[in-house]
Amino acid sequence: MNRKNILKSDYACQYRAADSPVHRLPAGWKMLLSTVLSVCILVTREPAPLLLITALCFAYYFFAGLTLSDLWRDTRIFLIQFCILLALFLYQYGYPDGIWPGVRTSIQIVLFFIPGIVFLRTTQVSSMMKGLRGIVPHRVLFLLFTSLRFVPFFARETQEITMAQRLRGARLSPCDIRRTVFWRDLFSCIILPLLVRALKTADEAALSAEARGMGARKERTYYDARELERYLAESRENSHPPDKGDSGKLS
Amino acid sequence: MLEANDLTYTYAGESLPALENVSFRVGPGECVCFCGHSGCGKTTLLLALKGLLHEGTLEGEVRHGGGLPSGGDILSGFGLVFQNAESQLLCSTVFDEVAFGPENLCIPPSEINRRIVQALTAVNLLEFGNRNVERFSAGQKQRLCIAAVLSMHPRVLLLDEPTSQLDRKGRNDLLAVLSGLKEQGISVIIAEHNIEPFVGLIDRYYTMSGGSITGVLDHPPEQYRCGHLNGSTVHQPRRAAAYGSTLISAENLSVSYPGNPAVLDNVTFSAMKGELVHLHGENGCGKSTLLKAIAGAIRPDSGHLWVGNKDFPDTGELLGKAALLFQNPQRQLFEDTVADEVAFTLKRLKLPPEEIVHRVRSALALCEAAHLSDRLPLTLSFGEQHRVALASVIAPDPELVLLDEPFAGLDPTQRLRLLKTLSRLREERGTTIVIASHDPLPDAEWADRIVVMENGRCVDKTDFG
Repeated sequence: MNRKNILKSDYACQYRAADSPVHRLPAGWKMLLSTVLSVCILVTREPAPLLLITALCFAYYFFAGLTLSDLWRDTRIFLIQFCILLALFLYQYGYPDGIWPGVRTSIQIVLFFIPGIVFLRTTQVSSMMKGLRGIVPHRVLFLLFTSLRFVPFFARETQEITMAQRLRGARLSPCDIRRTVFWRDLFSCIILPLLVRALKTADEAALSAEARGMGARKERTYYDARELERYLAESRENSHPPDKGDSGKLS
Repeated sequence: MLEANDLTYTYAGESLPALENVSFRVGPGECVCFCGHSGCGKTTLLLALKGLLHEGTLEGEVRHGGGLPSGGDILSGFGLVFQNAESQLLCSTVFDEVAFGPENLCIPPSEINRRIVQALTAVNLLEFGNRNVERFSAGQKQRLCIAAVLSMHPRVLLLDEPTSQLDRKGRNDLLAVLSGLKEQGISVIIAEHNIEPFVGLIDRYYTMSGGSITGVLDHPPEQYRCGHLNGSTVHQPRRAAAYGSTLISAENLSVSYPGNPAVLDNVTFSAMKGELVHLHGENGCGKSTLLKAIAGAIRPDSGHLWVGNKDFPDTGELLGKAALLFQNPQRQLFEDTVADEVAFTLKRLKLPPEEIVHRVRSALALCEAAHLSDRLPLTLSFGEQHRVALASVIAPDPELVLLDEPFAGLDPTQRLRLLKTLSRLREERGTTIVIASHDPLPDAEWADRIVVMENGRCVDKTDFG
């Protein structure tokens, strides 16, 4: 992938199917490991330990089979906070005293989220829900994880709506950002249509969930992704591929 | 056997019923189609069968297997696949999505595994089990929606306009899946206003209008076969000899996206002033990207692009001169009235108020939407929103109008109406019009030229001039 493609958009923090040591870890262990790493990052202040934790974080990230371009997609949003924080520290402490604390704090914020990103990238929603079922009500989990599923969808919608409105004359280019018209157009031309789309999509998603039995019973079961993989492997080993014979027939 | 007797349904707050005395029968392994124009009650009927109409008044009865089905029977025995695949996929991966229904039914995990494999095998998606659904094509998403319903082991499959977003390949794959399900004894009920893709599959046709069944046929009703519109062409005279100079000239354009290095691969394309061009190709072949590049919304990686008098024009330079209408009109409607919506670009062009009023009236009249002038755009029907969106892009009187999949969601009558409007636009104003669509045009004689795209390249050109 060339540099331009790395810089262009794709979707961050979405599950990425791969067979890595991190993927194979149970969700609970991953959650524990991610929490420990994030806490370590939060409490570290000195450069040497921070460097060590940074190395551990990246090792965790790349052991998960994720790539540099994935890292860029997952963390580029933090560039905004990096710039804002650095500017604030420089304003507060002046140059050069504000640089190191500004850079350190910004990097710590990025690093704090990386273990969580690895968790999202390597854990299927079913495993997360299964792991959290005793702690959080299923309806809340469903709401949370379905929202995650629609993040890329709304990212795409926002892009398309912005493009359509700019073609109609909406002043939404970065050079208009300091003008009142930018903020007015941002609300009326982007946020309003996006809200309408969001409400409609939520309505359709709710209908789809209801049609598939969501909320029909108090309890529910959870399939086991690893059991399913084993079942598939066994089917293949027994030279009885599921796409042949009776397993394709719906009884 | 599924049997519906005198189904009548009135939405809450409405005085007229959306369904009125609808009765029909469907046997095991049968496929029936309810066809009719938008708003005739097809979708309401499917929602009624699935028990998803909570407000309003429902009368009549639905019997399955000789008796009245319980709520649980309807939940697992009737599978409904909605029109919009994108919003009904609730989970991030394929396995999770297909497991969702059985999990809600408290099916044991080992049985869910078996059902996942069965359902994904039936729609040929088993190898993509761990894939993120975001990476799927429209056709794959539609098949996944069917798999997500099949895993609940329905005996009746309800499909609401299943091919509206699909190209030829997606449709063929879907037809193969439905054909297999029929053979397995599953009853299939399709609500559709374009029956053409299904004619080999459907055993019986119910035509609907105003919420009632108006006819039962064992052969396809001609008025709902897009592409078979007998005598319904818009018949515009060819104007090849009268064309002006070149308006668009694209040479060796290339555009890449992450994970897709050749969305446009050395595309060469041109259009003359006043020409009607149909850009035809399957989903993902690069049609939309080419339109966006021409409209200045994206910058090509390489090649040369000339639109009007500008090299590589951006959106600001083309404002009022070129317009792009996207597939879903809701993406651009936000004003309080239709008239304000149509006036938006005109105001940005700083035209005098009297000129704005004149152009708004003219655009709305051309799009047969003058009567909607004071309505709130977001409360209009899809077809009306489509006409308002078109009026808003043609109001500045652009030299070039680009339309991306403009027929999606429109019934055959609305499609022809759109082509007629565009023909009038060319005749009255000499506008160049480029339509990108995966379907053939409802009137094969409308375009002066058809450009076929495949894998990011223009592979064929048919000039009728």
